[in-house]
Amino acid sequence: MTGLVWKDLLVARKTLKSYAIFLLLYLALAVMGAFELSFVIAMINVMVMMLPIGAFAYDEQAKWDKYAMSLPLGRRAVVGGRYLFVLLILLASAAFGLLSCVLLSLTSAQDLTEALASVLASMGMGLFIADIILPLSYQFGPERARPYLYAVIFLPMVLFFGAYKLGFLDHVDLSWVDALPTVHALGLFALLPLAALAGLAISYFISCRIVDRKEF
Amino acid sequence: MTNSIEIRGLCKSFGDFALRDIDLTLPGGAIMGLIGENGAGKTTTIKCILNLIHRDSGTITLMGRDNLEEEELAKQDIGVVLDECFFHDTLYPRDLGKILAPAYPNWDSQLFHEYLEKFKLPEKKFIKEFSRGMKMKLSLAAALAHHPKLLILDEATAGLDPVVRDEILDEFLGFICDEEHSILISSHITSDLEKAADYITYLHQGRVVLSDSKDVILDNYGRLGCTAAELEQVDPADLLRVRKGTFGCEALLADRNAFARKYPRLMVDKVTLEDIMLFIGKGEAV
Repeated sequence: MTGLVWKDLLVARKTLKSYAIFLLLYLALAVMGAFELSFVIAMINVMVMMLPIGAFAYDEQAKWDKYAMSLPLGRRAVVGGRYLFVLLILLASAAFGLLSCVLLSLTSAQDLTEALASVLASMGMGLFIADIILPLSYQFGPERARPYLYAVIFLPMVLFFGAYKLGFLDHVDLSWVDALPTVHALGLFALLPLAALAGLAISYFISCRIVDRKEF
Repeated sequence: MTNSIEIRGLCKSFGDFALRDIDLTLPGGAIMGLIGENGAGKTTTIKCILNLIHRDSGTITLMGRDNLEEEELAKQDIGVVLDECFFHDTLYPRDLGKILAPAYPNWDSQLFHEYLEKFKLPEKKFIKEFSRGMKMKLSLAAALAHHPKLLILDEATAGLDPVVRDEILDEFLGFICDEEHSILISSHITSDLEKAADYITYLHQGRVVLSDSKDVILDNYGRLGCTAAELEQVDPADLLRVRKGTFGCEALLADRNAFARKYPRLMVDKVTLEDIMLFIGKGEAV
């Protein structure tokens, strides 16, 4: 399975390098005060969303799956390799996000707690999208899965905005979050990536079932 | 000695096409050529062997191991080269070692590098810059670098020039020198199989219509060339397939020596595998 993770990393090395350069550049600009940290985190999110789809697209172009299934690994290991790659990307971007938070809190007046909360929320969001996009890509292929991805991202935003505009959220009181001690508030935000991680396990089993039924 | 491949009663239906009751045995230490027209079921058979598609019924064992129950163990001793190069354009040949070594316990990095050198494949060049011949040689290097006992090749030499084909065929013949090794190769290039194969299995419309030793086939089968009037005088039981043209008739014979003794005045020739394919593909049953 590690060979498959290597494959995804090696195939995407050019993209990974350019993402790393962009992130470092944005981080430097954020340190100099040109950007908010949230901008860097948004970049990380884009990266986490695009890389798995890119990996599927590269595989489809090379017709890799047919070859991968002829290796002595089994279908579940091939799926597992892709999930491991996504987790690795996510961990790397989380580490980068956390490092950026610490760096920015040291060099500027940014609030570390708020920055950490936004990194955690962002990781949760990235992982949640991966939970959905991975089985969809196995089922439909990367091209046909793309519209579903947009639906998954934008539909909740439209619904939320609609609910806000229609006044359904007027009575929602979130001031209790502010009242929480810092550690508890961060713990609450940490639940998001943890829940999405549990979702990844479910997503993996769904993907395995899809691939088990497939013919190559 | 354990057979390298044993297929019994393999069936797979796609609706408009079906593999029906395929029986096939590849003994250890032999090369079997799988021939047949496009859509005859060669690739489907290979896909069933590799468990890339789900069969409807039948059993397949590879080196004595069931290909479903012990799939991973069975595949560890198999090298696969399919009709295309499945390695991503943005990879370098040296990357393949990193990718494939964890998949094969017997992966031999030194051997892989030796093959890259032998096939004159630059390690630091993107695969997208390789010609088709180079890509197929790279696939072969990757298939051989874990010391497989069985090579499965699906149209691996298609579209290659005669020089590269000859180079690859030499590699197959070198591989088969070890009597534990065997090769299943599907190909349209029957001249290659006449050079290299020990056994020939001919698939036609999803069924095995001929499976025997190549020497037995080429020594026994024959081609009758005659006029329509002469053909009328031949007992239909002595003919397998017939092709009638404007300038004469031809027929495929199962035993050309016996036929020549029975009909000494008729002209009988040896056949090639291509002749047999044309008779079965385009000829009529008698």
